[in-house]
Amino acid sequence: MDFTDKVVLVTGASRGIGAAIARAFAAEGASVAVNYLQNSEAAETVVAECRQSGGDASAFQTDVTDSDAIPPLVENVLETFGKIDVLVNNAFRPYVFDPENRKMFWELDWSHYQTQIDGALLSTHGLCKAVLPDMRRRAQGAIVNVATDLVARPTIPYHDYTTAKAALIGFSRNLAVETGPLGIRVNCVAPGLVYPTEGTRNTKEDVKDMITAQTPLGRIATPEDVTGPVLFLASPWSGFMTGQTLYVDGGLVMS
Amino acid sequence: MTQDDIIEMLLAFIAADEERCDTKSAASEDAFDDVALRLFTYQFENNRPFRRFCIQRGRTPRTARSWRDIPAVPINAFKELTLSCCAPEDAARVFMTSGTTLGGVRGKSYHPTLAVYDASMIRAFKQYFMPDRDRIDMSILFPGEDVMPNSSLAHYLALALSQFGADGSRNAMQGDGIAFDHLFELLDRAQIAGTPFALLGASYSYVPLLDEMKRRGLSFILPPGSRLFDTGGFKGQSRELGLDDFYDQLAAGFGVPREKCINMYGMTELSTQFYDRGNAVCPSVKSGPHWIRSRVINPLTGDDVPVGETGVLVHCDLAHFNIVSTILTEDAGVETENGFLLLGRADGAEAKGCSMAVEEFLKAAQA
Amino acid sequence: MTERAGYLPGLSGDEVDWQTLRFRDTDSLLEVLVPVLSDAQIAALTERVRNAGREQLKPMPVAQIVDIVDRAVARLLDRNDLYRQKAEEILPIVTGYDADMIRLGLTGYLKTFRKPELQKFLAEDFTNPLILDDFQPMPKGGFARAFGPDILTHIWAGNVPGLPIWSLICGLLVKAGNIGKVPTAEPLFAGWFAQVLAEVAPEIADCFAVVWWKGGDAAREDALLKESDVVLAYGGNDPLAAIRDRVPVTTRYLAYGHKVSFGVISRAALDIQKASMAAHQAAYDVIRYDQQGCYSPHVFFVERGGRVSPQDFAQYLAHELEAFEKKYPRRALSIAEARDIAAWRHGEEIKSFAGEDSGLIGNAENAWSVAFIDDDEDLSPSGLNRTIKIAAVDTLADVVPRIAPYKTLLQTVGIAAPPAELYELSAALGLAGVTRISALGHMTAPEAGWHHDGRFNLLDLVSITEIERSAEAAADTFAPYAD
Repeated sequence: MDFTDKVVLVTGASRGIGAAIARAFAAEGASVAVNYLQNSEAAETVVAECRQSGGDASAFQTDVTDSDAIPPLVENVLETFGKIDVLVNNAFRPYVFDPENRKMFWELDWSHYQTQIDGALLSTHGLCKAVLPDMRRRAQGAIVNVATDLVARPTIPYHDYTTAKAALIGFSRNLAVETGPLGIRVNCVAPGLVYPTEGTRNTKEDVKDMITAQTPLGRIATPEDVTGPVLFLASPWSGFMTGQTLYVDGGLVMS
Repeated sequence: MTQDDIIEMLLAFIAADEERCDTKSAASEDAFDDVALRLFTYQFENNRPFRRFCIQRGRTPRTARSWRDIPAVPINAFKELTLSCCAPEDAARVFMTSGTTLGGVRGKSYHPTLAVYDASMIRAFKQYFMPDRDRIDMSILFPGEDVMPNSSLAHYLALALSQFGADGSRNAMQGDGIAFDHLFELLDRAQIAGTPFALLGASYSYVPLLDEMKRRGLSFILPPGSRLFDTGGFKGQSRELGLDDFYDQLAAGFGVPREKCINMYGMTELSTQFYDRGNAVCPSVKSGPHWIRSRVINPLTGDDVPVGETGVLVHCDLAHFNIVSTILTEDAGVETENGFLLLGRADGAEAKGCSMAVEEFLKAAQA
Repeated sequence: MTERAGYLPGLSGDEVDWQTLRFRDTDSLLEVLVPVLSDAQIAALTERVRNAGREQLKPMPVAQIVDIVDRAVARLLDRNDLYRQKAEEILPIVTGYDADMIRLGLTGYLKTFRKPELQKFLAEDFTNPLILDDFQPMPKGGFARAFGPDILTHIWAGNVPGLPIWSLICGLLVKAGNIGKVPTAEPLFAGWFAQVLAEVAPEIADCFAVVWWKGGDAAREDALLKESDVVLAYGGNDPLAAIRDRVPVTTRYLAYGHKVSFGVISRAALDIQKASMAAHQAAYDVIRYDQQGCYSPHVFFVERGGRVSPQDFAQYLAHELEAFEKKYPRRALSIAEARDIAAWRHGEEIKSFAGEDSGLIGNAENAWSVAFIDDDEDLSPSGLNRTIKIAAVDTLADVVPRIAPYKTLLQTVGIAAPPAELYELSAALGLAGVTRISALGHMTAPEAGWHHDGRFNLLDLVSITEIERSAEAAADTFAPYAD
């Protein structure tokens, strides 16, 4: 898949899945805007890896849950790279995936939900809005939003997190209908438990074993497993797909 | 980079040693890319309309990896936009196109200094027109700079005269026309003395000269080493002559073999010129010095057409630093091993249906 | 593959010199042999057509001619017919247009020449079509009969498939002897139609001929022009003027020049539901025959103030064009055509420097070009081959001054507007020179009996002979039954 001369903006790309996605695009020749929140050192490492792999990259520090900060981010990327062909909404509010200590429903306030909804939806909403003028002008574009397979199968009920991600899928489908007639595709990738990432570093072995046991392909996802479907949904190979969700969990969820 | 840095870099690049000038070597391509991309960044940062143009095309210096990636500005844009990195009022000199199209609007090229233009002209002129000697007796068949201060060709020819003309060389124009008597006397004298002589002018300048010679029954056999220079074609300024006919008449009229008749291809939108190695065969192969490169493209996609196929010429002229370096011409060309064949202005398509095409519409609307 | 063009009654293939025209698409080479006739052959052909027209067509009832044409058209509508199959196979190579587009286009077009449609043709121009058969009583008194020319010469142009048969059928309906000159760009279809006619009605096989010469061959043209009673020519204004200058003064000359068409979209058609349909229809008008028709749109004027803005509409249109590219791909373009599009694109691109929102939509890799102008913009031709401009206007009435300077060049307007606006605007458009107003999506498919460029298809071709009341009355006095 050739992404030479394509510009990709990946949010939350300094580590974990986002970093893997950034590297994967760069390895196919893309210019990648590596958005990050805090860890500039990590972001610069990703940028360096991107450049080594044959693509180009720059780091862009922005809190994408701050709606006011999003338009300047997009402006900045456009000034640097001239256009945005692909937007990958990967950022989310930090969340600890700990089945043993998760909060039960009656322990959660609306504010927990709100936090996750802001993390998943507010940033995606703001970024989609901000990149659309450029994509519309060029009558093309691909948006890939990162959800979770928990939406389809809440093995462990992370209420606030999964509800927000479910909303993200609904959001994506509606947007897909709106922007289809403008040549812009919107799809989701829904990974299963991905290890190692910041959120899953402390996930216990028995949880991983339990999921592995139920997964046809017999293991836990790595960050690199997620990149293939993301690149596919960003490429002309999926040119006639929009509003779809691809589950990347070794067959745990089948739909 | 500041303007001074750019100028210094370019003067050094133009003055580079011979071995760096082999335009086919990879090292030379890399060196060219390096300067072209720095220049692209400079123009992107300092020339706002150009920056907009690039962003519209989805291209920035950051994503350009070779001079081939730099968006080529259609020369019509020179008429509509003020393309200059310096404030236009700071330009030491403004060259303008002749304004024969687009309601007389003239394309402008702003030069904050002519140092780079002159260095470019002098080195290439030496290389292509004067490889064998430093100076020659010369007459110019084109108005001087005082008469046409906005003509790049007037400046070019004045520079040729001052840099390469032997003592006593001068402009042969008087008022609107050529001072025939004096010119014929000079040609006569050169013929008798056996000293080589050079005539330089616009292609169309030669037509009234040849007519006058025919009227007077004159012809010359200029001594070996003599040479003729023409440029620009006929542009409705005189009768149109076919190339072969034109060079046959020059060869017969002045006794200068066609291979010593050099045609220069230049334009106001460039600071560097292309030359051929004589016109024994037409159309001749044109090439330029090491600080200008050309591509033959499909004008719509911007992709190179296969070698040997006709496309439209794009030039990247590093010397045109203050405006834009990479331009899309309206000239059709074919890439060859050593340069390109210039096939004249690229024509529009013939009507296929009964829908009106732009040119016909403009004509019909004016009628 | 080799195919012979033309239809030359009375001349055998060996008597004629043939020139080869070559057409190529990605995987086939087609050689078309076109006849190169001598002056003597043209004279003989003309003589034969004139005589046959007088003997066979002139006495034939027009209803019978309608029947013959109907049968010929039925053959060409039948996808199992040899000529129809030939057309579907060969025309894409000759013209470069997408095969499906040609197939559907031919069917849609030929349908407008079935019997009921031909009757509409006749009724459009003649209150009583029997006037073509015999003297008919006139309201003012007396009698009149319409006579078609002995030799009607057609000089066709362009590559839009099937176009020549329009005027050829008109010629037949008025019982003219027809000689048509096919264009180099599409030299075949008219000849096939002539052969089908000859097969379905051998009795009129000598009443028409289809010839060829290279456009602008004055000697050939003169030989034919001096034999013609009426000359019908299509093409650009320059070639039309050149022909006009050589047509004898006494010969009627009907010139159909190149035209510019455009669309007009009211804000009433721009709610969120209807706008996408309008964009779809507008895109269809653009892609049909890659805008080569005189009825093809070059600009859509879109009213501001709808729920969908003109700019949004432009973006919808762009995607519709992209979708059509998959269904009916654009012809392969020559470098000259690419240059025309590039020149148009560059011009529009530069305009974007003046206004933030104006400019090109899409990029140079798309097989279409859409420009949006959020500013006063006059009508101007596109770069052809699927290049279209969307110009925003405050009210539809604002379109009128934008087209006014080009009165003689206007033809069709595709319109999406409610009834009151339709009629109000149509009056202004007609005054401005527009001759045809259609729905969006129908711009390239004029209805049967359409008055091409505002003229009468049939009436323009005939001469009326009147028997005045005085002759009628006087005759009575000489009658054997006179008292």
